[in-house]
Order: sequence, then C-alpha cells, then structure tokens
Amino acid sequence: MSAMNVLTLFLFNIVVYNIPLLYGTVGEIITEKTGSLNLGVEGTMAVGAIFGYLAGCYTNSLLVGLLVSFLAAGACGLLFAVLTVSLQANQNVTGLTITTFGTGLYFFVGKGLGSDWPGMQGSSALVNGFAPLEIPVLSRIPVVGKVLFSQNVLVYLGIVIAVAAWFYLSRTRVGLRVRAIGENPAAADSVGVNLLLYKYVHLVLGAGIMGLGGFYMALNMGGSFEGSNCWINGYGWIAIALVIFANWNTVYAILGTLVFGFFNTLQIYSGSLANAFPGPLGWLSAIPSQLYQALPFIITAIVLVASSVRSKKLGGQPAALGLNYFREDR
Amino acid sequence: MNNRQPLFRVVKKNQVDGRKVILSYLIAVAVALVLGAALLALMKVNPLDFYSKMITLGIPGNRYPARSVEGFIRLFVPLLLVSVALSLSFRMRFWNVGGEGQFIVGAICAAAAAFLLGDVLPTPLVLLAMVVSAALGGGLMGTIASALKVRYGTSETLMTLMLNYIALYLLRFFGETQGAWNIFLTDDSARPRFETFPDSAQMPTIEIGSFSLDVSLLVVVVLCVLVYIYLKYTKHGYEIAVVGDSPNTARYAGMKVGRVVMRTVFISAALVGLAGGFYVSSAGALSTSVTNNVGWTGVIVAWMAKLSPVGIAVTSVLITVLQYGCQVASTTYPNIDSNFANLLQGMILFAVLTADFTARYSLVWRGANKEVSA
Repeated sequence: MSAMNVLTLFLFNIVVYNIPLLYGTVGEIITEKTGSLNLGVEGTMAVGAIFGYLAGCYTNSLLVGLLVSFLAAGACGLLFAVLTVSLQANQNVTGLTITTFGTGLYFFVGKGLGSDWPGMQGSSALVNGFAPLEIPVLSRIPVVGKVLFSQNVLVYLGIVIAVAAWFYLSRTRVGLRVRAIGENPAAADSVGVNLLLYKYVHLVLGAGIMGLGGFYMALNMGGSFEGSNCWINGYGWIAIALVIFANWNTVYAILGTLVFGFFNTLQIYSGSLANAFPGPLGWLSAIPSQLYQALPFIITAIVLVASSVRSKKLGGQPAALGLNYFREDR
Repeated sequence: MNNRQPLFRVVKKNQVDGRKVILSYLIAVAVALVLGAALLALMKVNPLDFYSKMITLGIPGNRYPARSVEGFIRLFVPLLLVSVALSLSFRMRFWNVGGEGQFIVGAICAAAAAFLLGDVLPTPLVLLAMVVSAALGGGLMGTIASALKVRYGTSETLMTLMLNYIALYLLRFFGETQGAWNIFLTDDSARPRFETFPDSAQMPTIEIGSFSLDVSLLVVVVLCVLVYIYLKYTKHGYEIAVVGDSPNTARYAGMKVGRVVMRTVFISAALVGLAGGFYVSSAGALSTSVTNNVGWTGVIVAWMAKLSPVGIAVTSVLITVLQYGCQVASTTYPNIDSNFANLLQGMILFAVLTADFTARYSLVWRGANKEVSA
C-alpha cells in the first residue's frame, strides 16, 4: 500500500470507527443539559445496539433498525427518568445500574439466541445501508473526498443530529427552558416550566440518540456476536468524557469526536503509519498503544481540572448537574 | 389561570418505619427474582432449577464442595471491603466512583512490593509491605480527586471516573509491554504474561480438612468491624456524619470540612486499594481483569444497603451468591451465561430503588386532608 493510501485509510477510519462516540456524546449532552448525569451510556447503547440490530435483520430494513434502537435505548432513558425524577433515586447509582443491567441484557439476548443469531450478510438492507454513500463530485477530491464525502449514511445522520441539537438547545425557546432547568430547576419551576415533562422528554430523547450510536456499532462490527466482549466496548464511557471535553456543546462534540477518534485509531494504525512515513512519523510506533487509549481520559481530566481552577465552574456545565430536584426541599 | 390542584403530590414522610423498609426491600427482591424467572422461562430454562443451583452455589452433587466455597470467598472478600470503603465516601456525599481505579492501583503497588521484596524479606514483612503500599497507592488515587474537589470544586464523580480508565490502561501497559524494566512480566514466555508472585507474597491460608480458608477473609471482617466502630464511636465518625448531613452546620460548628473530606476519602480509597492488594495476593498474580467490576458493584451494594456497615455485609453476601451462583449455574445451560447475574442485579436494584421511594415518601391525593408538616 502506498504511503498516501495508508494516510487516507487512517483518516477515513477516524470517522468510520468513532461516529458512535458522537451519538453517545450528543445524547449525553441533551441529558446533562436538563441537569441529569446519566452514567448509563454504555448500557443504554448496548440495549439500543442489540435490539436495533435484531429488528433491522428480521425486517431487513435499516429504518426499522434505527427506530427500534432509538426506542429500546429510549426505554432505558425512561427507566432512568422514572427512578431519578419521579422516585428521587440517586443519579450516579441509577446510571451505573443501567450500565450493569444493559450489558447484562445484551449478553442475555445474544447468548439466548445462540445459533439462531442472524448474520448481517443475510440482511441486504443493513449491508447496503451501511455501505459508503459517495457524494457526487465532492467524493472525487483526493484524500478529502474519501475521508469526508464517501461515508455511510449514518455518519452524515450523526453530524446532522449534532448540529440540529446545537440549534435546538441554544437557539430555540424550548432549548432555553431545558438549559434553565439544568442551571436552576427551582427558578424554572417557579416561572411555570413543566419540569416533569421536560425532564422525561429529554432523558428519553438523549438515551434514544445514544441507542442510535449503539446501532451504528452493531453494523460496524458486522453484526457478529462474540459473547466475550460487548460491541460497545467502553465507547459509552469515552462519550461521558467527551461531553466534558466538548464543554457541553454538541457542535464541539463533532470536533471532539475527531480528536478522541484520532487517538483511538492511532492505537491501531501507529505501526503502519510509522512504516509508511519512517522519517517524520517513525517515532509513532515507539509509543505504547495503551497511552493512545488512555489519552482521551487524560486530556479530559486535564480539561476538568484546568477549567475548575480557572473559574471554579466549567463554562458549559449545568450548575445543577447530578442533583435531584424535590419541590418541597426548597 | 389554572389553580386546580394536581391529582396527587409527593410528600416526604416525617419518620421512616424500619420494619416496613425491610419488608418493602424483600418484596422488591422477590419481584426482581420473579421477573428474572420469567426471562429464564422465555429462554426455555427451568427457573426453579436454575435458581436452586444458584442459591446452593452448585454444592450439592459437587465432588469438590470446598472449591466452591473458596471460589465464593474469593469474590466475596473484595466486594465486602470495597463496598464498606466506598460507603465512607458516600456518607459525606463525596461521589467516589473511582473504586475500579483505586483497586487497580492498590493491586499494582502490592505486586510491585511483591516482586521487589519477595525474595529479600521474610513472608510477614513482604505481606506487610504489600498491604502498606496497596493502601498508600489506593489512598493517593482518592486524594487526587478529593484535593481537587476541596481546593477547586472539581467534580469528583467525573474525576474519579477518568482516573479509573487511566489506571486501567496503566495496568494494561504493564501487562502487554515487554522490557527489562518490567518487573511484572514473566521472562520465560515469548508473549507478554504476568509473572506469578514469589511464595512469600501469597496470602496465607488455614487448612481445615480439604478446605483452605483464605486469611484475607478474617482480616477484612475485622476491618469492617473497625470501620463500624470508627463511624459509630469516634470523633472522626461524628464529623463524617455532620459533614454528610450539612457541610454548613459542620462549618459553623468549627469543623474543618475540607480536612474531614480529605481524611475520609483517603481512608476510603486506601481501603479500596487494600482490597486490591489482598486480591492479588490471594490470586497469586496480576491480571488485566483484576477488578472483576468490583468498583462498580461496590457502589451498588453500598447504596442498596443504605451505607450501613451491617447492611453492606448482608448485601455483599447476597450479591456474591448471585454472581458466583450464576457462574456455577450457567455452566449447565449453554444459552445462559454468567452475565445473567448482572441483569438480575440491575433488576433487583431498580426494584429496591422503587421500594426505597415508597418508604421515604408518600403520595397525597387531591382533596385529601392537608398534612401539617412538622
């Protein structure tokens, strides 16, 4: 493979492999903007992934797969909402339990199907739906065309959702109310915002978007269920870190996905990149791959500390993040 | 505009009846188990058969029952200690979800002590060095988060979460990188593999017939009793209670809240690290999956038990039965694996959280006489 091809493939895969992070992050940002810290991203994505994939296979439809993954993951969000909003349960504990429960359910369904597991090759709609969609003209630009304009349709969908979420949260009246709830629920309550409705809708919406990311991962893994590792494989946790890195802004999340994705993919490609460009990039292979994997978390920790040192509060972090609101406690 | 009363509203109960709480918890667990049974039946597995194998840990009909009990204890010891340790942080509303990372660092430190001193010092001193370094390592991990929280208000939930993964990849780095400097790997394997500890670094056991009792169980039980006494009968324990209840009250009473938080989180994280040290010493080697998710499960156990040391002891036994029992029972059924324990554990906690709400709050319907709140 020529050196240029390696570089193109590397850049292409940064996008392909890491878009699920964007879905997870956008979902978590919508969740956190209402003041709820849902640590169940990993489990929510797993539930969305397996049910979306199975539904997509059985009906041979990409759209049904997307819809079911959204609904299944949304059900996890609903569960989180019922427990933390209505039943005043602790958010950290509930979120962690959703992760435990979700991955448990994932393996239960997958193992339970055993040899009845449907292969992705049997579903032409999923295979074709996940194939690269070449945008006319633009996709023929060298390198950039391949990297940015011949991706599968779910990549574009993820970016559209991220931009739409940004517009919704920061440019609409409803989005303003959402942010108000996250900053000061008592104040929002006193001016008549329907807290219950807002919280429920956005916790379900956020979780549903995470589920789409799970569905993406299922397709990206070719739908093969191995039984030892979950498809989501820690992406849910990276998404939680990415929310901080993106400063609770869904457009920055696109950028953040590429930065985290860069390290994530470098871990696989450092060897071949070092071979292709022995002069300038030869040192890449000398760095242990675990450092690349740890870097997203190290960077996030530094961002977290730096911004709290500077202002005692992160810019985009909702002030009431992680706190339950009970009207009579005021 | 609209001055109709809502259909019902939620009111905090003034007093909580302890017996009712326990009853509602039992109902919750039963509901979750029934749901689990329905799922098992869906997979064409006889639920009664599965549950009975799970609860008895597969001991009846097992040729080596002692091995089952030893396996149970190996899972139980870290879970108990980690849950008790985390509850110390939670009592002050310090959300230490860094159990995984603190456990890993404790394990790495203990292993380092084992390899560096194992062939030099006699067994008791080696074990002592391992225990001390594990506690210091874990405690230091906790202190990073608590110092930042106290000094700059950095979110401890997010910080400890990040540290978990940094610790995990550090462990993987040690486990996957060969080199003369790497004392953790064995020399006689072409592929990177963790070295077994020298004999002097292995946790001693007491042989009772064919059963060998891991000494760490006794140590951990003693530690838990000490934590109970610490919380209930010492000045420090009182300070933790006041800070947890209201940091402002504590401040007005002249307590140095920051210092109490730092001290307690250090103890909490050090105990988690200690659990990591005990675990590797019992297992006799490091592994990249050394935590077995105990840092996460510990959070759930501590919360389910409402942070009471006695409750944690009972809950850890139950959760370990669930996990080890599922492991054993799932070997009989090809289409169920040990992850069923996670599913069941999740459902139990969801049910318990619901039960907890009914114990703490009550619903007042529209038109009912208004309660006079005290």
